[in-house]
Amino acid sequence: MLYLELFIQGLVQGSIYALIALGLTLVYGLLRILHVAHAALFTLGGYIGVIVTNATGSFTLAMLVAMLVVGFAGMLMYKLAYEPLLSQPPYVSLIASIALFIASEEIFRIAFGPYGLSYQIPPLQGHIELFSGFYLKYAEILVMGLSTVLMIALAWLSMRTRTGVAWRATVTDPDMARAFGVKIQNVRYLNFFIGSSFAAAAGVLVALLNNLVEPTMGSVASYKALAIIVLGGLGSIRGTLIASLLLGVLESFGTIYIGHLLDRDAIAFAFLILVLMIRPQGLMGGKL
Amino acid sequence: MKKAKIISAVVMSGLLSIATGHASSIKIGFNVPLTGFAAADGKSALNGAELAVEQANAAGGINGDSIVLVVYDDQASPKEAVPIAQKLIEKDEVVAAISGSYSGSTRAAAGIFQEAGVPYIAAYAVHPDITRAGNYVFRTSFVGEVQGRAGAKLIGETLGAKKVSVITLKNDFGKSLAAGLKQAASNYGITIVSEYEYGIKDRQFGPIVSKVKSDKPDAIYATGYFFTAGPLVSQLRAAGITVPIIGQEGYDSQKFIDIAGPAAEGTIITTSLNRDSASSETKNFIREFESKTGNKADMVAASAHTAVKVIVAAMRQSGSTDKAALRNAISATSVVAATGTISFNALGEVRKDVQVQIVKDGNWHEHSVISDSKLLAPPNE
Repeated sequence: MLYLELFIQGLVQGSIYALIALGLTLVYGLLRILHVAHAALFTLGGYIGVIVTNATGSFTLAMLVAMLVVGFAGMLMYKLAYEPLLSQPPYVSLIASIALFIASEEIFRIAFGPYGLSYQIPPLQGHIELFSGFYLKYAEILVMGLSTVLMIALAWLSMRTRTGVAWRATVTDPDMARAFGVKIQNVRYLNFFIGSSFAAAAGVLVALLNNLVEPTMGSVASYKALAIIVLGGLGSIRGTLIASLLLGVLESFGTIYIGHLLDRDAIAFAFLILVLMIRPQGLMGGKL
Repeated sequence: MKKAKIISAVVMSGLLSIATGHASSIKIGFNVPLTGFAAADGKSALNGAELAVEQANAAGGINGDSIVLVVYDDQASPKEAVPIAQKLIEKDEVVAAISGSYSGSTRAAAGIFQEAGVPYIAAYAVHPDITRAGNYVFRTSFVGEVQGRAGAKLIGETLGAKKVSVITLKNDFGKSLAAGLKQAASNYGITIVSEYEYGIKDRQFGPIVSKVKSDKPDAIYATGYFFTAGPLVSQLRAAGITVPIIGQEGYDSQKFIDIAGPAAEGTIITTSLNRDSASSETKNFIREFESKTGNKADMVAASAHTAVKVIVAAMRQSGSTDKAALRNAISATSVVAATGTISFNALGEVRKDVQVQIVKDGNWHEHSVISDSKLLAPPNE
């Protein structure tokens, strides 16, 4: 029963990782940029979620506003920070991304104060008792449910719509896609919009689980998401999803059973090193 | 010729007033985290210290000289604290300094101040090695181990719990508290049934919560700061755990209650600030802090306030800003401050009672006081 609880918690944590890491994979797949500043969008989503809920009392509205606003913020980030650097070697945009992220932590602190924000009336605090002693919080159910819905929506978008097909075409072969009349610029905007709004959803959900948003809440996500996309295979969406859930469950059991040996983050990286030694392209990565 | 005389007179009086300005202000250094993960506590500590300086200056300063707080942001990082300590000593030439920061940075800076012969007071950092840097270093709050031992008495004797699960924050603060608890546990009939650790950036404690639930302890001793304890306590209660949760001064902030909400009710902590204190010092501090900042007082603010008070009292006592004389005055001091009556032992550790507070109706209130002087005796060397 304990094992079941640990497993479910691993899935909850893994779902959050998936929502964050997905944006990173999408950006890497399209532009080969390691978008470290993605974690700043995660934090921004969390803040908007708390502020809008406290102002209007509606969590649903807050989630929608957060996803929308951060989606646009992501597009803006691309336009201002990455587009001008596309002709430069990849480490230039990586440095810009890291700089953006560091600046964002302090901007949040200056804008919202160092103390962090909490929900005045936290939504979804109840739980259901599935069977004796096994509690599942409404918030945890929402995390798993919403992530699944968003992933399915994304899959439908990319497989069943013209936009999705154009998007996949651009990732595979931008020149060919351009020849077919695909507007590359719009594809990039869409890419950043979707990745960023997923990160915002993750931020709002994390704020719900912890009842706390802080300026530095993105710091773990910033490097862990990188580890996850490498683990899953750079650019592979399926790999990212599998790696996220796997890591969530691994951390869940690891912190209890080998926690005295290895720190929680160390477990994630130790696992990454292990996998890379056996399979350098990551779990689902293509040929190197 | 006349013009030159006038110009030189103006320049001279300008220089004189600048020189006088220098001579009539007494500088106290203050390293505090204003950015980074500890910025919340740093801001509070800074407010507490600034309030104390304002109050001291309003009461005439030190024989007419006004006190100036020289503040630097150390980001709670030892790497930053060392050059800051050097700057305070060499560039700002402070007569004394206070650490409003965590143990990591305070430890690093303490050695620098000791070597330069500048009195240094750690307001709330708990690591025992801080005062071992030398006789110029003091601490106005409890060593981690002392507070941990008080926790053992609280749990074993006052609350009567026998089986305890310990959840420890993996840093100087958390570990020294847990060590203190373990030292004294058997004296009060406590068995530690399980122990778990977490990192300072963790906010999701699902696996630990599940495991603790299956351990079925009589009480939980969890070390951390309000930003880790808030989520932790909230998650423990949400999982259906109803046994007492005992924390320490790291929880001591209204923010803890804001984060954990109704789950915070009944949380008990060992700390230095008694909200229901009858002492006028404490009552004044709480009232003036709230009116100055709009926030409720917390332990770090009270501790920083106390540290400034100690230095001011010692300076008035010694009548000079000679650092060696100041050190002696601090060592011999006995002053009533917001966190109790402060006096130091040979090592520079404070001797005072432990306040136990509990969350009732969304606020911190007095639960009990632990006064066992043998149990609470701080290390002497």
